[in-house]
Amino acid sequence: MGTTTLRKVAVLSLVLVLAGALLAGAAGQPEEEVVVRDEIVIAMGAEPEALDPVAMTSAPAATVSEHVSQPLIYMEEDGTLAPLLATDWYANEDGDEWTLELREGVTFHDGEPFNAEAVKANLERFLDPDVGAAYAFLINRIQEMEVVDEHTLRLYLDAPFAPMASHLSHSFVAMISPAQIAELDDPDDITDAPIGTGPYRFVEWDRGSSITVEVNEDYWGDIPEIPRVRFNFIEEDSARMVALETGEADVVMRVPPVDADRLAAEPDIDVVYQTSVRQIYIGFNAQAEPFDDPRVRRAFNYAVDKESIVADILRDNAFVADAPIPDAVFGHTSVGPYEHDPDRARELLAEAGYEDGISFTLYHPTGRYLLDSTIAEAVQAQLAQVGLDASLQTLEWGSYIDMLDTPLEDAEHEVYMLGWGTVTLDADYGLYALLHSSQAPPVGNNYGFYGHDEVDELLADARVIPDVDQREAMYHEAIELLWEDAPWLFLHNEGQINAQRANVEGVIHHPLENVSVWNARFGD
Amino acid sequence: MYRYVIRRLLLTIPVLVGVSLLVFFMIRLLPGDPARALAGMQASPEFIEQTRARYYLDEPLPVQYGIFVRDILRGDLGQSTFSRRPVALELRIRFPRTLQLAVTALAIATVVGVSAGVVSATKRYSLFDNISMLLALIGVAAPVFWLALMLQLLFAVNLGWLPSSGIGTWRHMVLPSVTLGMASAGLIARITRSSMLDVLRQDYIMTARAKGLVEQIVVYKHAFKNALIPVVTVMGLQFGILLGGAVLTETVFAWPGVGRLLVDSILRRDYPVVQATVLVLALSFVLINLIVDIIYAYLDPRITYDGAS
Repeated sequence: MGTTTLRKVAVLSLVLVLAGALLAGAAGQPEEEVVVRDEIVIAMGAEPEALDPVAMTSAPAATVSEHVSQPLIYMEEDGTLAPLLATDWYANEDGDEWTLELREGVTFHDGEPFNAEAVKANLERFLDPDVGAAYAFLINRIQEMEVVDEHTLRLYLDAPFAPMASHLSHSFVAMISPAQIAELDDPDDITDAPIGTGPYRFVEWDRGSSITVEVNEDYWGDIPEIPRVRFNFIEEDSARMVALETGEADVVMRVPPVDADRLAAEPDIDVVYQTSVRQIYIGFNAQAEPFDDPRVRRAFNYAVDKESIVADILRDNAFVADAPIPDAVFGHTSVGPYEHDPDRARELLAEAGYEDGISFTLYHPTGRYLLDSTIAEAVQAQLAQVGLDASLQTLEWGSYIDMLDTPLEDAEHEVYMLGWGTVTLDADYGLYALLHSSQAPPVGNNYGFYGHDEVDELLADARVIPDVDQREAMYHEAIELLWEDAPWLFLHNEGQINAQRANVEGVIHHPLENVSVWNARFGD
Repeated sequence: MYRYVIRRLLLTIPVLVGVSLLVFFMIRLLPGDPARALAGMQASPEFIEQTRARYYLDEPLPVQYGIFVRDILRGDLGQSTFSRRPVALELRIRFPRTLQLAVTALAIATVVGVSAGVVSATKRYSLFDNISMLLALIGVAAPVFWLALMLQLLFAVNLGWLPSSGIGTWRHMVLPSVTLGMASAGLIARITRSSMLDVLRQDYIMTARAKGLVEQIVVYKHAFKNALIPVVTVMGLQFGILLGGAVLTETVFAWPGVGRLLVDSILRRDYPVVQATVLVLALSFVLINLIVDIIYAYLDPRITYDGAS
C-alpha cells in the first residue's frame, strides 16, 4: 500500500508540474536575445480600451493609435495646428463651410488610396448614431459632405463653427482604410487592428499585456528610424518604474511624483515634466447665496495658497492656474494668479457682509485627479483661517457627477471640486461648455449655473467667427472678465511626469498626455 | 461513482444560478450610473441615453437579468462595455494565463509545503522544524504585494536575473508564480505537519513500529497517505483561491490574467465582464472541489460516494 501511495502522490505532483509546463509552453513564446536595439518599449499605466477610432475614449488609446491611424490635422505641443493628412483647410466667410485639401500620394497600409472619399467614409462612420462614437460630438456640426475632387472635401455645418479645425485634429478622428470600414457589416462592429496611414503599422495586440507596431516602409513622410514599437501595459506604478530602471522599458508614462527625484538622480534616466490640458478648480453655485456675490468668490481665491499646494502636495507636478484654461490652449492669456492674501479675503468677506464667516459643504472626488482629497483638505484648512468653514464630503465618481448634473431647481451642491481637460486645445472647448449660461445642466457642464452677459456674448461670438486673430482677442477679453468675476476658485493645471532612458532621443511628450516616438532614435 | 459525479455536476446548476443572481444584483448596488461612467463626462445627455439603451440599462432589473440568462444559455457571455469586444474572447485569453500561473504556483507550493511539513513532523522541535515553521508563518503572513515588490527588487533590479514584469518566456513566470505560491506553501507545510503528527499518534502506527518496521517505512508508507487527506482539501481550496485571488500578483507583475480583468472591470462598471468572470471563477471553484472529492476516493479506498457501500 505504501509504495502505491507514494506513486500516486508522485503521479499527482508530476501531473501538476507537467500541466504547468504545458500551459507555459502554450502561452509562451520562444525566448529571444536582443542584440541590436530594433525595438523601443513604452511602458504605459493603462491599456487602451480600443484602437478603432469610433471606440476610443482615453489618452492611452490615443498614444498607440496616433502611430498607426492619423487625423487630418496635427496638433503641435504648443497648440499650433499643422498639416498632416490635410495640407490646408479654410472656412467660407460665414464660417459654416469648411474646405479640406488633402495630401496626395498617400496610401493606407493595405494599399488603398487616401482621398476625399476615404475621409468622407471615415467621418460618416464617426457621426453615425448607430455606431455610437463617444466623441462624435467633436464634429457633429457637420450636416453634409461634398467630394469636390479626388483630394478636396467640403464640409457643410449646421452653423458657423470656428474651432472646427481643432476638433478635426483630435487623435480619435483618425482615418482608417475605407476597405476596412466596408468589411465591418454591423454598426456595432469595431476593428482591433486598424489599417491607417501612419508611420507604423499595427502588428499585434496581446490583450492585457502589450501592443506591437512595426515601421511602415511606404510611409508618405519621414520613415521612422526605430523599426518596432512595443507599448507595454504596467498598471502598478512601482513595477512600471522598475521596468525603466532595469532597461526593460525605454520610456515610462505617469511617473508618481514621489519617484521623480529618485529617478532623476540616476545618470542614465531623464525625467520629463510636461503640462497637461487638465485644469482643477473649485466651482460655486453662482445662483445661490452667498456664492452669487463675486466678492465672496474672490475672497475664496485670495484665501488659498495655490503655490504651496503645487509645491508641497503635488511636488511641482502641476502649475498654478493663471487663467481659466491651461496655457497650452489656444486663446489663453495670463491674468493671474490671485495672490495668497488672507487679509484681503477677510476684507472682501466683510464688504459682502459675511464678517462672521460662511459654513458650507465642499464636495470633492477621491482618486479622480492627482491627490484630489489631500488638496481638498489643504483648501479646507486654508479657508478656515479666514472664517470660511468647509465640511468635506466625497462621493464615488459616478454618483458625484450625478449630483452635479442636476438642474438648478434640484441642485444641492454649493461648492465642488472638479477638473476639465481642454482636449481640443481650443479655448472654446474649455470655456463654452463650462461657463456659458446656456450650458447649465442638464445641457452642458456649467455645474455652477454661472452666467455673465458680456462673457456669454464673447464666447458665443468666438465660436462662430472664423478669423483666428479676432477669436484670440475675444478669448483674451473673456478671460479677463472671468478672472475678475471669479466663477471658480482657480487652483492649478495638472502636470504629467514621464521618464525615459537617457540614450533615447526625439520622443514627443505631448500636453495631451500622449507619447510619440516616430522621430525617436537611440543615441549612445 | 459516476452517479455521484453526475449528481454533483447537476448540483452546480443551482450554485451557478445563485452566484449569477448575487453578482448581478450586487454589482448593480454599486453607486453611480454606469451609462454615465461609460459615456464619459463630456458626453451629451442624448449619448448617455443611447449608451443606456445599448446595454439594456434602461430596462427594469428583472428584465436585465432575464436577458443576461437568456444570452448565457445561448452561449453568449455578452459584450464588454469598455472594449466593446465579446466577453468570451476576453476570457479565452485571460483565463489560461491565470490557470498557468495558478497551476505553477500550486505545484511549487505543494512540493515545498509537503516536503517541509513531512520532515518537520518527523523531526519535531528540531532546528529544521522550527525554522521551516517560522518560514511558513512568514509565508502565510507576508502581504503578497510586499513580497512581490521585494522579489522584483532583488531578482530583477539588483541581480538582473529575471524580467521584472510582463509575459513571454518561462523566465517571466518565475517571480509571479513563486510570489503566488509562497502563502499556499506555508499553509500546506503547516497543515501537512499537523496532519502527519496526528496520524503518527494513531494506534496502527504504533503497531507498525511494534512490528519492528523501519521508521522511514512507517512514515512514508503507513502515515503519509492518511495524512494527505486534509492536505488535499487545503490544496483544492488554495487552487480556487489562487485562480480568483491572484489580483495583487497579477497587478505587480503586469500579468494579464482574470484577477486583474475582474478588478479593472469592477472599477470601470463593466457589468458583462464582471458577471461572466465571476461565473467562470465560480464554475472552476465548484469543479475543483469535485475533483478534490474524487481524489479523496483515490487516496483512501474507504471513502466511497455511492450510498450502498
